[in-house]
Amino acid sequence: MSLSQPKMSVAELKERHLAATDTLNNLKQRLNHTRRSLLDTDLAGYARSQGKSPVTFGPTDLVCCRTLQGHTGKVYSLDWTSERNRIVSASQDGRLIVWNALTRQKIHAIKLPCAWVMATAFSPTGQSITCGGLDSVCSIFNLNSATDKDGNLPVSRTLCGHKGYISSCQYVPDEDTHLITGSGDQTCVLWDITTGLKTSVFGGEFQSGHTADVLSISINESNSRMFASGSCDTTARLWDTRMASRAVRTFHGHEGDVNSVKLFPDGNRFGTGSEDGTCRLFDIRTGHQLQVYCQKHSDNETPPVTSITFSISGRLLFAGYTNGDCYVWDTLLAKVVLNLGSLQDSHEGRISCLGLAADGSALCTGSWDTNLKIWAFGGHRRMI
Amino acid sequence: MAISSAKGSPKAPTLPLPSPKAPPGYPDLYGKRREISRLHMLEREISFLEEELKSSEGFQPASRCCKEIDDFVMAKADPLLPTRKKEKSRSRRFWKWLCCTPCSTLCSCLCCCCCCEPRCCDGCSKHLSLPSCSCCQYLRQCSCKCLTPATNCCRGSKSRCCKGSCGCQNCCIPPSCNSCPCLSCCSCKCSCSCTCPTCPKVPQNCCCTNTKSCWNPCCCYSC
Repeated sequence: MSLSQPKMSVAELKERHLAATDTLNNLKQRLNHTRRSLLDTDLAGYARSQGKSPVTFGPTDLVCCRTLQGHTGKVYSLDWTSERNRIVSASQDGRLIVWNALTRQKIHAIKLPCAWVMATAFSPTGQSITCGGLDSVCSIFNLNSATDKDGNLPVSRTLCGHKGYISSCQYVPDEDTHLITGSGDQTCVLWDITTGLKTSVFGGEFQSGHTADVLSISINESNSRMFASGSCDTTARLWDTRMASRAVRTFHGHEGDVNSVKLFPDGNRFGTGSEDGTCRLFDIRTGHQLQVYCQKHSDNETPPVTSITFSISGRLLFAGYTNGDCYVWDTLLAKVVLNLGSLQDSHEGRISCLGLAADGSALCTGSWDTNLKIWAFGGHRRMI
Repeated sequence: MAISSAKGSPKAPTLPLPSPKAPPGYPDLYGKRREISRLHMLEREISFLEEELKSSEGFQPASRCCKEIDDFVMAKADPLLPTRKKEKSRSRRFWKWLCCTPCSTLCSCLCCCCCCEPRCCDGCSKHLSLPSCSCCQYLRQCSCKCLTPATNCCRGSKSRCCKGSCGCQNCCIPPSCNSCPCLSCCSCKCSCSCTCPTCPKVPQNCCCTNTKSCWNPCCCYSC
């Protein structure tokens, strides 16, 4: 009997609903069983079996080289250019600032139409920046435009269509004309900036997708048709931009909101950071949860993870936490090798965002203390 | 109501007494359609899971994924890792040794630019000893904190020494910049005069950058 014909009674429908739920749970159990049988080790177990030694940092190996001061509100988001060491940051003070990370100069200070910004990103060429927040729209600024009479950079394009706040945004690699947003309306959207229209909607009312706010997205640099998203529904999902009707795979494991997702440098794995205080590493082809990164505290409290990124080789996983810690994890051995939050010149508040420079030589952290800090290798490389 | 019939005529049928009835049951279309929609979604999820279950038969074990990660990580150079590598070039080692003398605490040159790019620290070298240099690939420019008076520090090599983050308070000669605590005053045209009398919490560097208007709302005057 076709479900489109309303000949079944509500009682019959509810019965079928129960039966379908049973079938679904049964399939989930079988899938979990199959997965467990394939999880013959985790990454740390494998690395130990190979005799790997943990990364060790000396006291001056990773240092704060620069503090970028200028915002008067919490910093919520940052992004590096792919060249020339510029950073864009978004703050609750209602401004975007484009910094020269080397000289600390403020190249642009853009007053936003809506102060409640939550996400920002640089275009691949560095000519444009985008931002979005509680206004539910994505604003694009061309950095080469002339300023208006008040000295402000005008909005060159507005992308409207989300029914909830913009939590995250990222340009498609090598394409200044397309970007992807994640939203509180439970969807991700691929936009054509030239027309200002949606190309694809991932999830939502009529499609299979996240069942709660999307908090973070990360596009695969190796294959820009794939991107991962993290959500308040405690899952991360992998999407193919050619198939918006459903996620390629859903990754379960976290016990709280997935606040941050980041593709691993090899493009076949991704990391997540969650409200449950853990980071996890997943394999995108098999769905395996390869490692959990969890640091037990003496008071049994595990502060939520706000943001993560990997070093260029993937050996280091940087994770920012709500209590101001910024752990540097040895990705292979799942050990904390450094806490940037305990170093000299560390932030005085929550770490809200992280980003690695394009050449991998520096990390930038943004914080609710209104500052951004740049961390680089300041140690000696001993010759032996 | 029974009707009394006249003599010889047949009796009319008796109508049943009216009795109140329950109102007709209106079909709960909204609830039904909602149930149908939920069932659709469940059945779709079932088909996705069936596909995934089928494809999971070909999945490789986690150990193979771990090996791939290990191979990738070990093969890729990482500027943030404290590696210990054998230096192949003797002359390079010698150059580094020659360049890098113990650091005076007075000059905090944050990177190895002194060794790698001597001209970067030209401005400082007259007054301060070269710091020990660690190889900071990221920072290509020195941030020299010149302790000598501004005029000495900035004289001649002003553009190099004071580039970006010079601590020289009065780097820029024009007097209008004396009251402007620009961190990058040497690169600005020094025509700013910023005062924020009613904003006690405004940090010192809120004022003008380059020649543009003060962007912080507390800075009221444009350059």
